[in-house]
Amino acid sequence: MADFDAIVVGSGISGGWVAKELCERGLKVCVLDRGKPTDPAKDYSDFLEPWEKPHFDNVSEDVLKRDFAIQGRTYALKESTRHFWMTDREQPYEYVGGQKFKWRRGAHVGGRSLMWGRAVYRLSPHDFEENKLDGEGVDWPVRYDDIAPWYDRVEEFIGVAGDRDGLPQLPDSKHFLPAFEHTCVETELKQKLETLYPERKLIMGRVAHLTHLSDKQIALGRGKCQARNHCYHGCSYGAYFSSVSATLPAAERTGNLTLIPYAVVSELVHDPVTNRVTGVHVIDAQTGKMRTHTSKIIFMNASTIGTSLILLNSATETHPNGLANSSDQLGRNLMDHLGGTRVQATVKGFEDCYTFGRRPIGGYIPRYRNYPKREESYKRGWGYQVYSGRGGWGGWHSGIGENFKAKNRTPGDWTIMLDAFGECLPNPDNRVTAHQTKTDKWGQPTAVINVKLGENEKSLMRAAHQDAIDILTDAGFSSIKEAQKPDDNMDGIGGRIHEMGTARMGRDPKTSVLNGWNQSHDIPNLFVTDGSFMTSSAVQNPSLTYMAFSARAANHAADLLQEGVL
Amino acid sequence: MTDFMLMQRRDALKSLLAISAAGAMAACVGEGKAGDAGTKRLSSSPKLLPAEMALVSAVAQTIIPKTDTAGAVEAGVPAVIQSLFTEWGDDNFRSYWRAGLDNLEQHFLKSGGQPFANMTSSQQANLLGKYDAKAYAEQGFDDFYKSMKSTIATAYYMSEPGATEELAYEAVPGEWRGCVPLSEFPKTWAT
Repeated sequence: MADFDAIVVGSGISGGWVAKELCERGLKVCVLDRGKPTDPAKDYSDFLEPWEKPHFDNVSEDVLKRDFAIQGRTYALKESTRHFWMTDREQPYEYVGGQKFKWRRGAHVGGRSLMWGRAVYRLSPHDFEENKLDGEGVDWPVRYDDIAPWYDRVEEFIGVAGDRDGLPQLPDSKHFLPAFEHTCVETELKQKLETLYPERKLIMGRVAHLTHLSDKQIALGRGKCQARNHCYHGCSYGAYFSSVSATLPAAERTGNLTLIPYAVVSELVHDPVTNRVTGVHVIDAQTGKMRTHTSKIIFMNASTIGTSLILLNSATETHPNGLANSSDQLGRNLMDHLGGTRVQATVKGFEDCYTFGRRPIGGYIPRYRNYPKREESYKRGWGYQVYSGRGGWGGWHSGIGENFKAKNRTPGDWTIMLDAFGECLPNPDNRVTAHQTKTDKWGQPTAVINVKLGENEKSLMRAAHQDAIDILTDAGFSSIKEAQKPDDNMDGIGGRIHEMGTARMGRDPKTSVLNGWNQSHDIPNLFVTDGSFMTSSAVQNPSLTYMAFSARAANHAADLLQEGVL
Repeated sequence: MTDFMLMQRRDALKSLLAISAAGAMAACVGEGKAGDAGTKRLSSSPKLLPAEMALVSAVAQTIIPKTDTAGAVEAGVPAVIQSLFTEWGDDNFRSYWRAGLDNLEQHFLKSGGQPFANMTSSQQANLLGKYDAKAYAEQGFDDFYKSMKSTIATAYYMSEPGATEELAYEAVPGEWRGCVPLSEFPKTWAT
């Protein structure tokens, strides 16, 4: 008799959804997280005033050198949020092959759903067909219509502020909450852009913030967004979606959830006779003691690289290359969205306008290149996140005394910036493997990451950079500044923190790890619904898609259990 | 993941982030590059010494004097800089600051005949005004001074009086409005 109906490895944005759906279907669910429990009262730093944060909240140089030299520092790593980010010592890894990979995640209940950027965009029908159209990777075994109802379900529950834009490359939600407003210079760029290039649109970013509360959300204890933009400190209002603010409380209310922190899953247990996974070996992070939990089905939501490592480490005599890896695709096709180009301009003529509050999202220019037909020498495209605002205070200008104070007291020029998020192609040579000898503090093999930007990625980001310059120039803006140039940023990927693809879905068990239900081709009671399932990266921020596939897979697994198939 | 508020603030934070990398060249800052700093033995104290703190305070107060709102000293800027020095920075940071402050003091000793902190406030404003103008007009004249000034500004505008009295600050705005008249909100937002 198994301890649980289901074990979910990881409590982040996808694991939380699996837990909620399975619990609501009446299954007894055990969620294991390698990290510490999350206590909003203690762990969130969103109510600290600027003057209550020593050293401008910057992590000290010595700590950065000791703990974050390999992964590098993200914008959200501050002294008051440092406990949310795993250090290089906790997750030692190396990159080989000459290019960097920035691997950043947390070890706490809720995972990166606490620190995410909260931008939520659906993939389009075209995105699910593009591998087939241009021959990259393998064909997605699902189409947009398969996942659309699950996007609906997820969006209604999490709450998404956005406008109905009616764009085929970026389908709308049925459940949008009131969108945040554009700034006046975004409206200006929108008008210019859409006049100059009718196929390009500037829309308001869609974001998982509650701008309006439903009864269900109130019942979960969630509150309305206060426009503080302290999000990555954790939100005491529960105004943006996270596992901690929404899915885990919903799962908890069913009475079916057992949530166990400090549980480092070392490997899955596989029964060669039945060809089923029967449970997981766990190392207690506090005592170092080993134990085993058993269940009828297992969901892997340990993050893309984490899941790959666990499955590779679960090799058996019958699965010598790692569990669920008869295709040899496990760990391969590692992708992240491309960055490295930011172009900024000054916008004159709006000196009598300003903003109130701190908006937690910017504008967005959805993909327009190679859409709907391929026309460029490179494949795929990008979307721009659009940021704008008036210059604030600072010390990097001349002048002292009363003049210096007066200059800083008056808002500066309006600037607008385009930041391209490009599509990364699936490449089997871009892979994560388990180190043959090196282990972490739990004795687990460490990750070896080998990725290279391909020629398509390089061409694409150069084109995105040039387009951004052209757009801002043609709009008549001045002082065009190349804040980031692609050719200065071709030393690796990972900085978008959208890693995905290492256990891809596909139709053929010989070339993919999972079927169209996020179910292992090899082992029918094993499911993977973190970012590893992604067959292509598209250009959209991916978390919404992880959530939709998690909800769909969880319900499918519950159906199979009910039907007695599993 | 990105955050525009932080990107806007990058100029302010650049000072802190850039200096450690420059720390190895600490002996080559500013005017003194061919002179004193190369041979002189500077203190290795983990704290800014009283004379160094006096210079920091006087420069900070000259850049941000007391007006109808607090000046840098009333806002606690010198203590913030001491805490960066003792608790935050690494050895490179400390040697960069120490050499930079020494270079600055040597300049004022030469041009004003006494330590900067001992001068009258009008003499301070006069000499620092000229030095400041030169620092922004001539590239490489004194990069330390510019990063120190940025650090002073950050310490001031992130202090309670700097944020809430000199600038405008709303801990909990409650809502976002994308286009409001400047006449209603004439002061720069602190964050």
